[in-house]
Amino acid sequence: MKRLRFSKKKCIGCQLCGQICSATHEGAFVPSKARVYIETYYDKGGVLKYQDSYCTLCGICFKNCPTGAISMDGKILVDHEVCIGCGTCAEKCPKKVVRLRDGKSYICDTCDGDPMCVKVCPQNALTFE
Amino acid sequence: MKIKILLRGALTKYFNGEKERIVEVPDGCTAEEALKLSGIDWTKIDNFGFVAVNGMRVMITEKLKDGDELKAYSKISGG
Amino acid sequence: MYGYQNKVLRVDLSKKTAAAEPLRMDWAEKYIGSKGLAIKYLYEELKPGIDPLSPENKLILMTGPMTGTTVPCSGKLGVAGKSPATGTICDCSIGGHAALRIKYAGYDAVIIEGALDKPGYLLIEDDKISFEDASELWGKGCHETEAILADKYGHEYSVLTIGPAGENLCGMACITSDYYRQAGRGGMGAVMGSKNLKAVVVKGTGGVKIPNVEEAVKRILEIQNEDVLQEDNTFVFDWGTTAFLEACQDGGILPYKNFSDTTDPNWTEYNGEVFMEKLEGKRGCGSCGLGCGNFLKIGDAICEGPEYETIAAYGPNAGNRDPEAILKANQVADDMGLDTISSGDVLAWAMEMTEKGIHDFGIRFGEMDTYIKYLEMIAKGEGIGKELAMGVKKLAGKYGGKDFAMEVKGLEYPQYEPRGSWGMSLAYAVSDRGACHMRAYAPNEEVFAASIPPYTPEGKGEMVYKLAQHNAVKFCLCICDFWGTISMETMAELMSLVTGKEWTVEEIADVGTRVINIARAFNQREGFTAKDDTAPKRIFKEALKNGPAAGQKIPEEAFEDMKQQYYKVLGWDENGLLPDSLIATL
Repeated sequence: MKRLRFSKKKCIGCQLCGQICSATHEGAFVPSKARVYIETYYDKGGVLKYQDSYCTLCGICFKNCPTGAISMDGKILVDHEVCIGCGTCAEKCPKKVVRLRDGKSYICDTCDGDPMCVKVCPQNALTFE
Repeated sequence: MKIKILLRGALTKYFNGEKERIVEVPDGCTAEEALKLSGIDWTKIDNFGFVAVNGMRVMITEKLKDGDELKAYSKISGG
Repeated sequence: MYGYQNKVLRVDLSKKTAAAEPLRMDWAEKYIGSKGLAIKYLYEELKPGIDPLSPENKLILMTGPMTGTTVPCSGKLGVAGKSPATGTICDCSIGGHAALRIKYAGYDAVIIEGALDKPGYLLIEDDKISFEDASELWGKGCHETEAILADKYGHEYSVLTIGPAGENLCGMACITSDYYRQAGRGGMGAVMGSKNLKAVVVKGTGGVKIPNVEEAVKRILEIQNEDVLQEDNTFVFDWGTTAFLEACQDGGILPYKNFSDTTDPNWTEYNGEVFMEKLEGKRGCGSCGLGCGNFLKIGDAICEGPEYETIAAYGPNAGNRDPEAILKANQVADDMGLDTISSGDVLAWAMEMTEKGIHDFGIRFGEMDTYIKYLEMIAKGEGIGKELAMGVKKLAGKYGGKDFAMEVKGLEYPQYEPRGSWGMSLAYAVSDRGACHMRAYAPNEEVFAASIPPYTPEGKGEMVYKLAQHNAVKFCLCICDFWGTISMETMAELMSLVTGKEWTVEEIADVGTRVINIARAFNQREGFTAKDDTAPKRIFKEALKNGPAAGQKIPEEAFEDMKQQYYKVLGWDENGLLPDSLIATL
C-alpha cells in the first residue's frame, strides 16, 4: 500500500504542501485548513527543526472511531454525515495531523491516490510510495 | 596542446555532470573553438554566460596556450 | 481583483489604535503590490521634508496578490518607509514567512504610524490586534528576542524584530525575521526603533482566494516545474549565493580592500565549497521552490548564510580570508540587526583611513577579532561604534576620505566593482534608495551574460532602465530575485491567473516604469536631483590593478553620459527631474 513519505533533509520549509492541500480541498489557499502541516523553524536560532504532521495511513483513527465514520481502503475517508465530532481520531493520531473543524473530522485522503502535496513539493521531500 | 575545460552552472550537463575535463586541442585554438570541439557550441546555447581563462574573464575569441584552464559559465542572474 | 484581501490594517502607535480599512484598489491597479504599492501609499501620505526618525514617518509592510498562493517564490514581504540613512524613499524585501501570515491574517498590508511612548510590540492574530509590552525584550538581540517570542506564542507566529542597531537608531539597522532574514538596507530597523516598536508578531489562519482554483493551481504547478525548477535557478539550492563568489572573482568585479582593487588570488579559501561543506540544513521562505538558505556551523559560528554580499564585504573587501570569521561576523550582525553590506563598507573605509594615517579608527584590514567587536559596538552605539554607526557618508564628511567613501546618497555600495561593469556605476547612482544592486543588476548583462561590453558607456542607460523595470515589476509581485528566469510574459500570466483580470505584457511592464517614476518623484519632492546621482571619486580617478578589468577606471564624462542616457529614456530632464506632465500620470 502506498503512503506518504517525508525526507527531512530535503524539506526547505516552503509550506507549499499545506497551501495546495487546502486549495484542492477547500477551494482557497488556507493552510490552517490543510490536512498536512509541515514546516521548519530555527529553535533559538541554533538548530533547524522540523514539524512533520502528515498522514502515514497508520489506521489508528480508523480503528478507534466509535461511529464507523472513518473508512480505510488505501486511503482514509471520513463520512461527515456519520461523524459526531467526538475528537477521538484527532486525540489518537500519532502524527497530530487530524483536526476537527466545526464539529467534523478532517483527514488526509491522499487525493484519491495522487497526492497534490507530493506533486507540488519542489524538492521531492514528500513522496508517495 | 592540452588544456583543462571547467564547466559551471547549467553547463555541466554537456560533460554529463562532470565539472572538468582535460582535452587535446590544436595549437593557437580559441576558447570558442576549444568548447566547440568538446561539444559546446555557445552560439546555440541560450543560457551560455561568459568564459574565463586561468581565472580571468576573456572574450570568447581569446587564443589559448598549452596548459590553460578554460572555465565556461552559464548565465546566472540575481543579486 | 482576486488575490487581494481588500483590507489594509492601519496602526496608530501614538493612539494605540488599529483599524482595518479598504485597500485602495485604484492604486493597486496601477502599482499591484509590495514595492510599487507601498511607495504609492507613502508618496500620497507622507509630507515632504519629514524626519524619517520622527513619528511622522510610516512603516509599511506590504504583500501582493500572489502572497500566500502556490505561486513559487512569492513569499517576500515589501517593507517601506522614508530612509533615515538617505532621506530617500526606501523599500526592502524580506524573506521568511511573515508575508504569508500577514496575508492569511486577512490583510494586504500593515501601515504603522506614530510612535509608542515606551517599548512595545504589535501582536496581530487575525482580526485581533494588541499592543504588548516589550520592556523585557528591549536591548536584546534579534535571536534572543525571537526565541522568547517563539516560546510564548509558538511557531505559527512570524516575528519581525529589530536588534540593538534599530533600537539605537543606527542608519544601518535592519528588520529581522526567521532569525536570519532581513529587510536590510536603508535603516528600516531604525524607523521601527524610533517608534519604540521592538517587533511585529503575526499569526494568520485565513486564506487567499483566486478564480478557477483547480485550473489555476494546475497551470501554476506547470510553471513551477518547467520554469522555476531548472538549473538556471536551482543553483541557489546547491550553492546559495556563494555561487556568485567565483563568478565575480573570474568576472573581475569582486571588491578588494574597500574597493581599492578587485579579485583575490586566494578566493578559494572562502568559496562556496568551503562553506557548503559545513551545511547543516537548507531552508527557504514561504511558498519558495528553491531554498537558497544555507544553515551552517563553523567552529562556534552558527548562521544561515553567508550570502555573497556578506562573504565579499566581510571577506576580501575587509582584507580577510578566514571563512569562520566571516560566518561569525555574519551571525553577530544578524543578531544585532545590522546590515552586512553597509557595516562592511563602513569598516572597510575605517580600515583604509587607519592604514593611510588619515584618522585612526583602531582597525586595519584583516583584523577580524576587532571587526566582530566593532559590529557589536556599532549596533549598541558604544565607544567608537557610536561614530562608525553614522555611515560612511557622514563619517567622510567629518574626517575626510570622501574619495573612497563608497556610497551614493548615504547608502553604502553593494559588493560589485563598477570599474569592472560600468553600467553598475549608473545603476548605483540612479537607484531609488541609494547605491543598490537590486534595482538594476548590471553584472547580469555586462559580465555574466557577456551580452554588452562592460567597459564603455554605450547603451548603458537603456540597459539599466530595462533591468530596473523588470525588477520593479518582479518586486511588486513579491517574487523573489532568485527566480532569475522569470519573464514579463510569465509575470503577466501569473497576474491574470491570480487576480482574474487579464494583464498584458505591456500593462505589466508599464507598472515597472511607473514604479521607477514614482520612487523618483518621491525623491524629487525631497530635493534630490541629478547632482545626487553620484559615484565615489575612486572609480573615476583610480585604475584597477588586478583582474580582467585591470587598467579600468570610469571617465567622469562617460559616467555623466550614462546618466543622461538614463534620464532621456525615462523622459526626465537633464537635471534628472520628472516633468509635471509625467508626475500627473502617477
